[in-house]
Amino acid sequence: MPRYGIAIDTTKCIGCHSCRVACQNQNSLESNETFNWIKHLDRGRYPSYNKQFIPLQCNHCENAPCQRVCPTGATYTSNEGVVLVNSKTCVGCKYCMEACPYKMRIIDHRRGIVEKCRLCIELVREGGVPACVTTCPTQVRVFGDLDDPNSAISRFIASTGAQPLRPDLGTLPKIFYKRS
Amino acid sequence: MQDSAWGWLIITYLFLAGAGSGAFIAAVACDLLAPDWSKALARAGSLVSGPLVVIGTLCLVLDLEAGFWQPWRQIYMVNNLRSMISWGFIILSIFIPIALVYAAALNEITFVGKLAQKYITIIEIIGSIFAVATATYTGVLIAVVNGVPFWNTPLMPVLFLASAVSTGLAAAMIVAAIIDVNTIKTLSNFALGHVIFLSVEALVLMLFVFMSLTRSTEAAASAGMLITGILSPYFWGLVVILGLVVPFILSIFEFLEYGKMPKSLVVGADILVLVGGMSIRALIIFSGTHPQIIS
Repeated sequence: MPRYGIAIDTTKCIGCHSCRVACQNQNSLESNETFNWIKHLDRGRYPSYNKQFIPLQCNHCENAPCQRVCPTGATYTSNEGVVLVNSKTCVGCKYCMEACPYKMRIIDHRRGIVEKCRLCIELVREGGVPACVTTCPTQVRVFGDLDDPNSAISRFIASTGAQPLRPDLGTLPKIFYKRS
Repeated sequence: MQDSAWGWLIITYLFLAGAGSGAFIAAVACDLLAPDWSKALARAGSLVSGPLVVIGTLCLVLDLEAGFWQPWRQIYMVNNLRSMISWGFIILSIFIPIALVYAAALNEITFVGKLAQKYITIIEIIGSIFAVATATYTGVLIAVVNGVPFWNTPLMPVLFLASAVSTGLAAAMIVAAIIDVNTIKTLSNFALGHVIFLSVEALVLMLFVFMSLTRSTEAAASAGMLITGILSPYFWGLVVILGLVVPFILSIFEFLEYGKMPKSLVVGADILVLVGGMSIRALIIFSGTHPQIIS
């Protein structure tokens, strides 16, 4: 089985929010709901001021704190290494939202369940790639199998030394970042 | 990027579960250890214990979303024994009936109470274990949360247990004053309990805040919010002064004057202990900051 992940080249991100809109359309989300965010980071001062954009989404942690605290077992990891929420057994206790150190989960008040990035698993299983990856005009995201040393993502991580966010937290994320 | 997912309903639950289980412990201690004059407090404690925990649990259920609208989903809540909520579900399911039966037994309510009186010692022992479990687990519930480093300390369950015992005694004393006006004198005997429990709580709270200052940057930021930051008026005003110092001083006078203190001050001290117990839980929840994931 593959072990899917995404590598993000933040040096290419222009903060256009296309990924967010694509995600909202793909997952039928309301305009105020999203599974991905772009964090703005101000660096330096005039005349060397610059702005960095860091796209954020569920890290699909190998050692997922959200999955450990879920009382109903609704949060689970699929064979492909994707952390998913079973909408039939989630009770909406929001313990996972507190447990996630990255705060990447949201509550869907209409259905009363917790939601998050599912790596567009329905597209991926049909051979596609997640919507945020295909839509990005500057090709910031690289999607693929982390276990295949010849995949684009493995080569990207090997050549750029991309790192997950806060690896010291011990959550073993599957989203990697190339930072300047 | 979400702010705290938990709010007043969870805070109220944490407080009521603590006060309810503490009241149970106070009632058992009075019934087993203290002489006859303390029976009024044992009865009061047993009467208030179950209802407090039941109301708290209702808050917990109200905070659920799909699990509230489709209650049958709650049967899944024991699925994951690595989750403290699953343990809480089990502990509450056992403690609530025991607390209600205990109230019936001590106050001789219906045939259930008469029947339960025969097994009162067993109920008290098993009930005490689950009362301690209830008070402690509410602390563990948030102590295991990776997302908020401030909560992530073994001192959290100790603080919650200490607060549960002092708020439980306060709740029992208020009810004792209501159901039996003549107990006002005997209540002075328990003022010493307040002095001891409030001291322990203050000590644990001090350790918790001071150690948080050096534990991690996030925990230090949270502790900073409490002692000097945006929440500091509430922390010093509601928790330290009104919740600990004032009831501590009142309880010392209550004990020294032995029954001569006005009833309003006796009950007032107990109400302040409850205000402090609720406030500390609210402040712990609201001051929780998550790790800075980007720098």
